Amino acid sequence: MTATQKRCVQVLNETLHELFASRDDVYLFGEDILDPYGGAFKVTHGLSDAYPERVVTTPISEASLFGVAAGMALRGQRPILEIMFGDFIALGFDQVVNGISKFREMYDDQVTVPLVVRTPMGGRRGYGPTHSQSLEKLLLGIPNICVVAASECHDLRGLLTSAVEDERPVFFIENKLMYGRVNRRPEDGQVGQLSVRESGGPYPALTFSGTDFTDASATIATYGGMVPVVIDAVTELILEHEIFCEVVALSQLLPVELDAVLESVARSGALVTAEEGTLTGGFGAEIAARVQEAAWGDLRAPVRRVAARDGIIPSARPLEDAMLPTAHDVVEAIAALEGVRQ
Amino acid sequence: MLEIVLTREDANTEFALLAEWLVEDRAEVTPGQPVCVVETTKATVEIESPGAGTLVQLYAEDVEVELGKTIAYVAETAEDLASVDVAEKEKPAPKPALEERQATRKATELAELHGVDLGEIDKRGFITEKDVEELIARRKASESPEQGPVLAGVSTDGVSLPASFDVDASVGALEPAFLESLRADPDSFRALASDEKIRTLREHGAHIGEGVELGEGTLVAAPRVVIEDGVRIGPRGTVVCEEVVAIGELTQFGHDLELRCRRAFLGVGIWAGRSIRFGGGGHRDPWATLAVGDLAFVGDEAFVNVCRPVLIGREVFLTMRSMIVTHNIGHSVLAGFENRFAPVVLEDRSQVGLGAVLYAGCRIGAGAIVASSSYVVGDIPAGSFAIGVPAKVTGSSSHKLSDTRRLELARRMIDDLHELLALRGHEVSAISEGDPRGFEVEGTHVSFTPAFRGTAAAPAVVLTLETLDDAPDGVAVLDLDARRVHGSGGAVLESVREFCRKRGIRFEPGPWRYPGGLL
Repeated sequence: MTATQKRCVQVLNETLHELFASRDDVYLFGEDILDPYGGAFKVTHGLSDAYPERVVTTPISEASLFGVAAGMALRGQRPILEIMFGDFIALGFDQVVNGISKFREMYDDQVTVPLVVRTPMGGRRGYGPTHSQSLEKLLLGIPNICVVAASECHDLRGLLTSAVEDERPVFFIENKLMYGRVNRRPEDGQVGQLSVRESGGPYPALTFSGTDFTDASATIATYGGMVPVVIDAVTELILEHEIFCEVVALSQLLPVELDAVLESVARSGALVTAEEGTLTGGFGAEIAARVQEAAWGDLRAPVRRVAARDGIIPSARPLEDAMLPTAHDVVEAIAALEGVRQ
Repeated sequence: MLEIVLTREDANTEFALLAEWLVEDRAEVTPGQPVCVVETTKATVEIESPGAGTLVQLYAEDVEVELGKTIAYVAETAEDLASVDVAEKEKPAPKPALEERQATRKATELAELHGVDLGEIDKRGFITEKDVEELIARRKASESPEQGPVLAGVSTDGVSLPASFDVDASVGALEPAFLESLRADPDSFRALASDEKIRTLREHGAHIGEGVELGEGTLVAAPRVVIEDGVRIGPRGTVVCEEVVAIGELTQFGHDLELRCRRAFLGVGIWAGRSIRFGGGGHRDPWATLAVGDLAFVGDEAFVNVCRPVLIGREVFLTMRSMIVTHNIGHSVLAGFENRFAPVVLEDRSQVGLGAVLYAGCRIGAGAIVASSSYVVGDIPAGSFAIGVPAKVTGSSSHKLSDTRRLELARRMIDDLHELLALRGHEVSAISEGDPRGFEVEGTHVSFTPAFRGTAAAPAVVLTLETLDDAPDGVAVLDLDARRVHGSGGAVLESVREFCRKRGIRFEPGPWRYPGGLL
């Protein structure tokens, strides 16, 4: 790890400090976020000491937390909520579905609700059924919100800053395993041996290629905590089998923005989606539907989805591992695609 | 001495990952200075030094440590430092992460096979098999600067090219005017008798040896024609090359041969059946080179497409109806269809079964066997047995026999030959047991002895596995291992040679077949 490489938790923490320093309309609400504890995953470390008036620890009531933040946002503030585990967003859903996402359109653009909900998703830590889920797909069906998923390869500073500056309500999805990992930003256009292209906009997509974008057997569309899993799978496919796939790591999940995926599919002719959430009605289903509609002529094989099994996530690590999608699952999905040589 | 202990913060965590040391081992630290990063199930935390002194690490980075363990000491004095037992340190050998590897497995294996240093490949991103192949090709090209279109960069490793491949460019050049008349009116030439064809060709510059036979209706036309002694080309043959045709002695083709390419270099003692076709699409291409090694066998109706070099090694079997293609035909490359032009190489003693197809670019390793009706799309390693569509290696083409077993097989050959001659109606004596073991036929003694030491009563034909002495007059010694014939003999020798040939043992010098014998 060189001096320029920081762990994701540190980058997020520094970005929050910068945002608090540069704007006085930013507030932070959440459970157990006060120093010295500094939040369950330490992302908010040092903020309550530095900005005691703007960092508020709350009771265990996500519904009221969302409600208070919505009110503040309506009045022109920029509240950031930390929901300790992504699983707990369900407790605030009424506020989101019937209020936060609707106000702007209901009041004909006279108001906006510029709040940011930061929350970690993902398992692989043995936290069991209610602290390990990836529930992004529940958010994808809510019009007028923005869902942003951070990964260890994305510009976390840029993403979080864009989220705070966004006039829309933004769900900023973090990942529990990502926090402790190095923020692997492309250096000289590469991450490891893979070439990387970054799209524009506030929430860019990263496209990885092992052939410098000359050709590929398939495209794998993914996000968040699955990004390193998919990169491992793609690297294994290259090193062990000389099968080259491109990876599109999206950060903007909603509104759905598929230019990077379509561009890659035009080169590769096949698509696999990979998500850590359960299979049915998920991210992959939405992407598959849209890509077959937009790029039917480019596809030589049906889109395949890699996801968690439709069930609960057990606490026991071996059972959890069997439940969640792995690099091996991605390799198998690629190998099963028509036209991928063995 | 101060200790840094990983404390347990909650009930359901037993291990933590020592993610990173922020301070070097044996560095001086100050109180409160962060010394390492530890990842627990819930958070990533920095651990601070409890005091001032020298840090002594007890674990390596990226190691799971049980909570409650001491991970480092801070030695406040020199005595403390001296007392630390360094052996406690658990430093596993760092395993290279997948993503740090640059070369694929195929590339690494190929590089090892050819002794190539992957460091010579200067490339961003992954190093693939193709990169290594290109490096090998570049290296070969620089080693043999004259490598033009004749071999088009094909490696001749494992291929014994026929002597005709190096035939002197001044030999056998036809007068241009004669060649032109030959091309303009081939039928007049075809109509000539064999000896007239040979005389005419010789008169106009061709090199034609003795005992050559050019069958009825056969045409030979090329700027350079070199045909050695005893070559026979059957009726209705067409041998038309753009640059040169050179054929070694005793090579023979059955009727309806078609040999069209830019250069054909054929070896000594090749036996080829009827209706064989060399050429097809692209036979006039600059790279259309055909080389067939000595003693090769080409079965009836074999088809060898030659638009890129086709190298067939020594003693290769290309059996009936087998096919070699050096290019495909298809749809537009712009629509993503494959368009392939590539050489095919059959290394020495490889065998291609009935009706098998070898696709452009494949290489059959020395001694390998491709089973009948297989379809080969890649390389088959030397000594292996491949079968299927597409052909896959399923085992070895041969296996090593014990000395006892070899002796047993050699002795049985005498028994089998004895039985065959008797069934054919020849008068044969009973087999004399012992060493040598043998019998009399037509007044000649035929026997096997494990090692020939120069003693045998003429006339005799002696099979042996080791030749330790010269053959006396009237005695022919056939060394089954070295596949050499020492001395000479008549019809009985021919018969024994033919018998051995059918067991895959061909002797030199000599042709492929011995039709004149007792069998």
